[in-house]
Amino acid sequence: MENIENQIFSSYQRNPLLFDEIFDQGGEVKDVYAKLFKLYGEHSINDYVKLNDKAKASFFNQGITFQVYGENETKEKIFPFDLFPRIIDPQEWKVIENGSIQRSKALNSFLWDIYHDKKILKQGIVPIDLINSSVNYLDQMIGVDPPGGIYNHISGTDIIKHNDGQYYVLEDNIRCPSGVSYVICNRTALKRALFGVFNHYQTHTVTNYAENLLELLETVKPKGVDSPNVVVITPGMYNSAFYEHSYLAKTMGVELVEGRDLFVENDFVYMKTIRGPEKVDVIYRRIDDAFIDPLEFRADSALGVPGLFSAYKKGNVTLANAPGTGVADDKAVYTYMPEIIKYYLDEEPILNNVHTYHCSRPDELKYVVENVEKLVIKPVDEAGGYGISIGNRLTRDEIETVRKQVKENPRKYVAQPIMSLSVHPTYIDDSESFEQRHIDLRTFTILGKDREFVLKGGLTRVALKKGNLVVNSSQGGGSKDTWVLKE
Amino acid sequence: MLARVANNLFWMGRYIERSEHIARYLNVNYFSSLDAPNELSQSRQFVLRSMLFMIGDPENDSSVNLNEGEILYKIGLDPDYSFSILNNVKAARENANSARDLISTELYESINKFYHFVCNYNVETYKKSGLYDFTVNVTEMTAILRGKMRGTLLHDEIYAIIMMGLNIERAMQIIRIINAKYNDALEAQGSYGDTFGNSFEWTTLLKCAESYDMMRRFYKKTPTSISTLEFLILNPNCPRSVMNSLNQVYKHIKVLDPSKKYNKESTAFLVGKVRAEYEYKFIREIEQDIQTFIENILKSLSEISEKMEKEFFNY
Amino acid sequence: MSLEYSITYKAENTYENWVHDAYWQFLIIPQLNRSQEFVEVDFRNSINAINEHSINGYGFQTIRIHPKKKFKSISFIARFKLLKKDINPFDFEPEQDHEAAYKTIEALEFRVNHAIFLKTTPFTAVPSKKLNLYTFNKEYSIFENLQHLNRWTSEHLLFKTDVTDVYSTLDEVLQKRQGVCQDFTHLFCALARLNGIPTRYISGYLHQGNGYFGDSQMHAWAEAYIPKIGWVGFDPTNNILANSNHIKVAHGKDFKDCSALKGIVYSIGTNKTRHSVEVQSTDQ
Repeated sequence: MENIENQIFSSYQRNPLLFDEIFDQGGEVKDVYAKLFKLYGEHSINDYVKLNDKAKASFFNQGITFQVYGENETKEKIFPFDLFPRIIDPQEWKVIENGSIQRSKALNSFLWDIYHDKKILKQGIVPIDLINSSVNYLDQMIGVDPPGGIYNHISGTDIIKHNDGQYYVLEDNIRCPSGVSYVICNRTALKRALFGVFNHYQTHTVTNYAENLLELLETVKPKGVDSPNVVVITPGMYNSAFYEHSYLAKTMGVELVEGRDLFVENDFVYMKTIRGPEKVDVIYRRIDDAFIDPLEFRADSALGVPGLFSAYKKGNVTLANAPGTGVADDKAVYTYMPEIIKYYLDEEPILNNVHTYHCSRPDELKYVVENVEKLVIKPVDEAGGYGISIGNRLTRDEIETVRKQVKENPRKYVAQPIMSLSVHPTYIDDSESFEQRHIDLRTFTILGKDREFVLKGGLTRVALKKGNLVVNSSQGGGSKDTWVLKE
Repeated sequence: MLARVANNLFWMGRYIERSEHIARYLNVNYFSSLDAPNELSQSRQFVLRSMLFMIGDPENDSSVNLNEGEILYKIGLDPDYSFSILNNVKAARENANSARDLISTELYESINKFYHFVCNYNVETYKKSGLYDFTVNVTEMTAILRGKMRGTLLHDEIYAIIMMGLNIERAMQIIRIINAKYNDALEAQGSYGDTFGNSFEWTTLLKCAESYDMMRRFYKKTPTSISTLEFLILNPNCPRSVMNSLNQVYKHIKVLDPSKKYNKESTAFLVGKVRAEYEYKFIREIEQDIQTFIENILKSLSEISEKMEKEFFNY
Repeated sequence: MSLEYSITYKAENTYENWVHDAYWQFLIIPQLNRSQEFVEVDFRNSINAINEHSINGYGFQTIRIHPKKKFKSISFIARFKLLKKDINPFDFEPEQDHEAAYKTIEALEFRVNHAIFLKTTPFTAVPSKKLNLYTFNKEYSIFENLQHLNRWTSEHLLFKTDVTDVYSTLDEVLQKRQGVCQDFTHLFCALARLNGIPTRYISGYLHQGNGYFGDSQMHAWAEAYIPKIGWVGFDPTNNILANSNHIKVAHGKDFKDCSALKGIVYSIGTNKTRHSVEVQSTDQ
């Protein structure tokens, strides 16, 4: 077998129950990875130890770090980065790209509707209670026409591959999705460490994100503005995503501002420069709704700009993403995504939604009660993972308890099949070898007026703890360079 | 450019320049004292006091016996001492962080490396044997930073603001160094037969300003009080002189304020006025009352800094 | 016939230390509507800061102030002259078909259209044990039920100042059974909404009689939406329908959407605030 000759993979253990991105069921390397597998095999494990250290130093010196606050000192840490890239072939990518655009557009139409005519609610396709109970629905946005008709200019779609080999969307992030700067950093780091491998593949670039973002933001400028002045607003340098904010401002060539750099006069927004006030037309904001304007939302917020919302409402400034988009990336709204796509676009969903059983519907309740061990049961109204039961990890008694709870209060629960994330060989520091780790993918979609763009790449996040399904960076997740191959 | 960020860049320039002068002062004074010609100049207490005097925290009680390790640690790497090189570098990097989108990746990476070098410098090594290595590295890294500024930043207003900070700070530090060494020369007077005018401290002073070689080339004589002060204060061709720094400040303020209009309230006007004053001074005039000169020039420089803040950084 | 009103709103803020930066937003200008028409608006502040006219998130007229110099005290004075049409609150066709009206309010389309004023907010949340505190009798029309609720509210609470404050929620109000117009109005809104009637909180001025002086405050009442009739004003504090003595400024889900003055002041130390409102009518 080839993987025995290949020394860096000699100890690779393949769990046949998991979907491996580079090995097929028979243990053979998939075509698209064949060359890469051979090239990596030419290095010894010692080479990897060295390359890995170099890549780490490169992140560290560039200051691409986050702070860990300790008792006595603050430490800077880098985001763990893996040297083995993930490859997505052109056919699969087409599905992901079209699917991401489809979802972003459907969500945009949904947002327009629920802040205007509310047709989807009147027809009962999405229950009104869902919107009424959402803290992210902003009454102040009712009837407001955002410039260019766009709400979710930037969307981050979290996608996984299940063990059936199909892509599923787990979450749409349309508030201030972050991570795009790491896509570019990962590429840079991999190029610095292993430039040779790029010669053997035709890979799409990822460095064109900022120019596209700027172009698309310029298409949603306020009325009456010729060449808009775009800025990025950040909560400040102590924010964990500050590197990304400064990266985006720098690569777009626009100012990175904080709330205190802006002020509103006669409903126009200005920034304070060394030559006096300068008008601002488009704000790519990386602060949450609640903090953008203390006169309109949270009064205790020092991050925002007093009067900003009035300026927005008068149409004198564009905010990207628009206020109030958060209502649509709710867990509960997610379960209606197939209906939302069909309703507004009259299309079948391109990417799968994880199927959701609403226990409020009698036939679905019956299925849930009979199949608890195969399902994840979630309360509809709890946030942050509270009250979630994962069927295959429950004891018999616990299953009975869940059954009882669901039957007693069916409206309170939804259930989903247990998803299994695909795995990818990942270099593990501690064992100095490649091991299987679960991965997901976040794509970045930008909507402008009559234009859209999906970054051909995306952020592959890796759950570094063995067996762990959580890929979030706050829980020890790392990331990989992601190659989308040209046709 | 945002007023707040301009302010940060100005201070980034100042902190970088300050770190360099403190590091060099430690290095030159410590190592030249080891084989100084007279007893007092060789005395460790004398050298340590001079260092504290220079950074602006003099020990006035002559009965106190200073501990070498403690003082060197305090000025170099003490995180709890606000004048330390460590804290200067931290402040420089913090200012750079907030303007990260405006400065070049290359400059930021160098500042970041500088920061990590200083933060990770082993305290024990430093105390035992690292003084030379540490201070030389700090001065060399600041030289790299100046190179990155010149070579990787567009020479526009961002550059002008950093350079203004750098040059105002340089003029201030040179004057502080002159003040400290002038004070040393007064104290060391006559202890080994050499007079004030021919004191060994003038050579040290020139070395502290990295100007000894230049000065020798220019005068071709052993430094005296007069020639040293003339060179470091008035010679416009010496890149470390006060005059040169003022010329630089003037050049860069013109980028920020290109107006030809006569406006006596502007920073540019004030810089031009101060510069003109020193352009037509001669050294005998200054030497008569060096203390007053020092006070006046420091005052003028702070006035420039304050005026800049009002005119450009007010937010 | 029209009534001419002259309204004076005063606010005075003093601070222990210098204030270097501050923003205020006033929501005090009477709304222009079917029955309200302006003659004059005059607004001044004591430190000659610029008064910016704008709108808030709900589209109501505001005045925003952002002084450019430091200060220790600032006062504001607003004078409005307004023509108010003398309206008869009962001037509408009574509901004919009760059953149809109740059907309408239960329909999904109606609930979606009026969702914003059917929502429960922190100020209009009735404690879960008291959800049946007031249930409509469907043998009567919606209007009649609302009139009963208006009376019931005015009797259920006792008007008393300084018992509750601007942060008081209904569980506290219902426990004390005392409060001011804000509390009466929150209770009315909450109970009407529980019965499926879209109801909004109104802030405005109340004319309490010709030549009346005094340090009166802004008033609050409610408007409820009745199918085929529209928005009708109820003043549960006084157990009356809103009439030509009620001068509306703004509406919202509750007090929070309508507060007359919002301020963000960057200063340390204590401060003192005083407000007063005076409404006079000059009969025409």
